[in-house]
Amino acid sequence: MSTRVTIAQVRIDQSPAVLKAYGLGSCVAVALYDPEARIGGLGHLLLPNRPKKNALGSESKYVDAGILEIVDQLVQAGANQDRLIAKVAGGANMFETSYQTLIKSIGARNARSARATLASLGIPILGEEIGGNRGRTVEFDLATGNMMVYCARDDDQVSI
Amino acid sequence: MPFRELNSVQLDTLKEVSNIGMGHAATALSQMIGQRVNLTVPNVTITEISQVPEHLGGAEKMMVGITLQILGDARGSIMLLFPEESAHRLLCSLLGQQEKGLVMTEVSVSALKEVGNILASAYLSALGNLLNKTLIPSVPLLAYDMAGAVVDHALIDLSQSGDFAMMIETDFGGEPDQDLAIKGHFFLLPDPVTLNIFFSDVGGAV
Repeated sequence: MSTRVTIAQVRIDQSPAVLKAYGLGSCVAVALYDPEARIGGLGHLLLPNRPKKNALGSESKYVDAGILEIVDQLVQAGANQDRLIAKVAGGANMFETSYQTLIKSIGARNARSARATLASLGIPILGEEIGGNRGRTVEFDLATGNMMVYCARDDDQVSI
Repeated sequence: MPFRELNSVQLDTLKEVSNIGMGHAATALSQMIGQRVNLTVPNVTITEISQVPEHLGGAEKMMVGITLQILGDARGSIMLLFPEESAHRLLCSLLGQQEKGLVMTEVSVSALKEVGNILASAYLSALGNLLNKTLIPSVPLLAYDMAGAVVDHALIDLSQSGDFAMMIETDFGGEPDQDLAIKGHFFLLPDPVTLNIFFSDVGGAV
């Protein structure tokens, strides 16, 4: 059974479900997992930080707010926050690097925000597949806590 | 102005403005490749940001995306998307016989960017004349990857002002009955503040 997590969405589920996020560019996918309760969540997050005021629209498009939302939902579903581990993928810069100033390298900022938010919650990052200039699709297996990362362009896949 | 509050007159205005702009862009493309180029009446869609990759045929479909920012009196971005087969056919018409599949070399990247540049410039100059504004395209940037990954940076700009995107989409193609038609999607992604400029100047005002 696999569930799709679209842009600006967070989802949680339990073993043996698989959560998938397709076509990540500068977006990041943050997966959180409690290996004992075997429940976990995945967020397909778009923007690095929720503005302090005048935030428009859903919380789950921000990396920092989205991570907090997954943690909240997992704890409510019976996970222990101290046992949570994280895996992060995405945060690429799809349009070549020589014009970084034009697009302000949003992917790198997303990845940085994910690391900072997870560090502030004391959640260790056990695997990362971030940066570069290629799109990724991730599958997060809640039976094992493994995250498969696929790259379409060079037919590459890694497990983190 | 939030996209959701646009009324039908305003949506029609956007369609018509886009129709004129795309007409110029298609003429430019047709001169460049020496073939007739047909286009469909633009479609204006207001959609949740998360649904945009679906409108492009799925987040994992391989696409060539060329993006330019609109500079000058209005802000926004333009995104041109070619499915990989169409990008390949386009390169065949531009550069003569090519490898069997789409291979991104320095020459092919540069040729595709130039197509993007010409289409966007023709479109923006038509639009600018109509609105009496100066609209200048930035340097084109290109990515060849999954549709979801290619469009998400355009969505990032939009998502700062809400959860909805407005896509003005025009499909163009060669001779309709040919299997070898070149298909593409052209998206204008105006920033919400810029929309007010459109309406105050073309008379679709509230």
